[in-house]
Amino acid sequence: MDLQHGRPAATVDLPLSAPVIGRASARAGRKDVAVSGRATRDAVRSDLAEVFRRDYQRVVGVAARVLGSRDEAEDVAQEVFLAFGRSAVPAGEAPGWLSVAAAHTALNLIRSGRRRASREETVAATAEVAAPDVAETVLTREDRSRVRAALAGLPRKQAVALVLRHSGLSYAEVAAALDMSPGSVGTTVRRAEAALRKELIRHASSD
Amino acid sequence: MRHPTEGVLRRLLDEPAGVSEPDRAHVAGCPVCLTGLAAARQDAAAVGTALQPADVGTVDLPAAWQRLSSALPAGGADRAPAPARARRARAVLRRPVVAAVAFAVVLAGAGTAAANDWLPVFRTEQLQPVSLDTADLVALPDLSAYGDVEVTGGEGPQQVPDAAAAAAQSGLDVPAVAALPRGVTGEPEYQVVGELGATFTFSADRAARAAAASGEPAPPVPAGLDGSQVRLVAGPGVAAIWGQSAGVPALVVGRAVAPTAYSSSGVPFETMRDYLLSLPGLPDDVAAQLRTFAADGSTLPLPVPSDQVTTRSAEVDGVPATVLETRDQALAAVLWVEDGVVTVVAGSLGPDEVLTVAEDLD
Repeated sequence: MDLQHGRPAATVDLPLSAPVIGRASARAGRKDVAVSGRATRDAVRSDLAEVFRRDYQRVVGVAARVLGSRDEAEDVAQEVFLAFGRSAVPAGEAPGWLSVAAAHTALNLIRSGRRRASREETVAATAEVAAPDVAETVLTREDRSRVRAALAGLPRKQAVALVLRHSGLSYAEVAAALDMSPGSVGTTVRRAEAALRKELIRHASSD
Repeated sequence: MRHPTEGVLRRLLDEPAGVSEPDRAHVAGCPVCLTGLAAARQDAAAVGTALQPADVGTVDLPAAWQRLSSALPAGGADRAPAPARARRARAVLRRPVVAAVAFAVVLAGAGTAAANDWLPVFRTEQLQPVSLDTADLVALPDLSAYGDVEVTGGEGPQQVPDAAAAAAQSGLDVPAVAALPRGVTGEPEYQVVGELGATFTFSADRAARAAAASGEPAPPVPAGLDGSQVRLVAGPGVAAIWGQSAGVPALVVGRAVAPTAYSSSGVPFETMRDYLLSLPGLPDDVAAQLRTFAADGSTLPLPVPSDQVTTRSAEVDGVPATVLETRDQALAAVLWVEDGVVTVVAGSLGPDEVLTVAEDLD
């Protein structure tokens, strides 16, 4: 499992259905995990409500960019906040931590293939109704799912940096959240975009 | 000099202020870099569109909090996530007109205004989109962290029976749609919004405190700025709304008196604008864009969430207009200003359809 990409690694492979506590505690001993041994059963951090109010929408937004579906993104956001509520992440690092955790958890969901197919189809059907040009929407939908699959296959740091940037985080925020230099964020995002665009063009020309 | 890296070109698209002046100057005059920049822009736009979620919108925060609370151990954090006051502030400030007002307050001002005299110094003649992320749009209320914002009026929207009543109550010509686009049927609902006024009094103390809270020191306050006031008046306005389904109107045609600003302070416009722009919290790229606005305030910046909306310019009966389209192509709008009145046509339609409606308005 890929645990090399920054502090929120504790949430990287939390299955959506499994109890969070056991997994978080199991990870707590690792040195790259900021949620330290304080992640005990009953301790819920006191600033959870405040952070939730401030950052929930953004966390959903990050996960929705990866998944394309807001319902699934909300599931991810719930998991992320559960993990956060039991963590000792410093308050100042919370926004970055939450965004990275949302991106990782959502990417894992795609890679694991545990997505809810029926819900995906519902969303797609809605999109078709909303747009006037059905043919174009179908193509776009296929493009989108291809791009999302390709996104989950990118090196994890590229994928997360790309998602955070497209979710509205500044270069400085992305750099801080991923322990990168601000100068390398542009390069990382650019590489990810070039790879995904290539994927789009490859399929467009073969259609 | 050597060509800047691809990473630098990429950042130039998002945060030009984060790229060094020599690099920017080089790119501007280098065909190789301009080609690279164009490729980066195309890739970024294509990927941004592909990653746009199908069902963007506002989350139901109380419901989400309840769900989380029930998953937490008993006795855990159970406070309501959004106290009434915060909720109300957010609701008010999410209204686009207030967001526009908040920005217009930043941009409005007078170099020539006499002390103790409200002078009209700002009249909207053009709409100019400014790229803003959604988070920044919601964060606009933080202008109130830099001083007092006193809002007066803004009643509504209030429903009225028909176009004649809407015209009588608003004092505006209610635009009539000659031919409804395909899929839009029935009679519209008419709504009227009262005049909205906002007085912004800059407070150096508050600005310093707000800056401290964001973790960065506020720059020194220019002499005379503390206590300076700007007053902005917008509206009244009127809207005709067709067929709301799933919370999204099929078609909206709205018209309002465009914002006008007055200033009572002797501080030059550039001083107030640049100081507000220099305060922590405003992203560098947005600040850079704002600096390009004419100092005479003849342009109303329109805050647009750039991650959700694309913009382009067009013409409606020879008047310059701005066309907005959400990246998921679900909604489109066109806005223009003529004789101090702003008109908008929007709906779950394509950009061509809203333009057709706009051109056929009586």
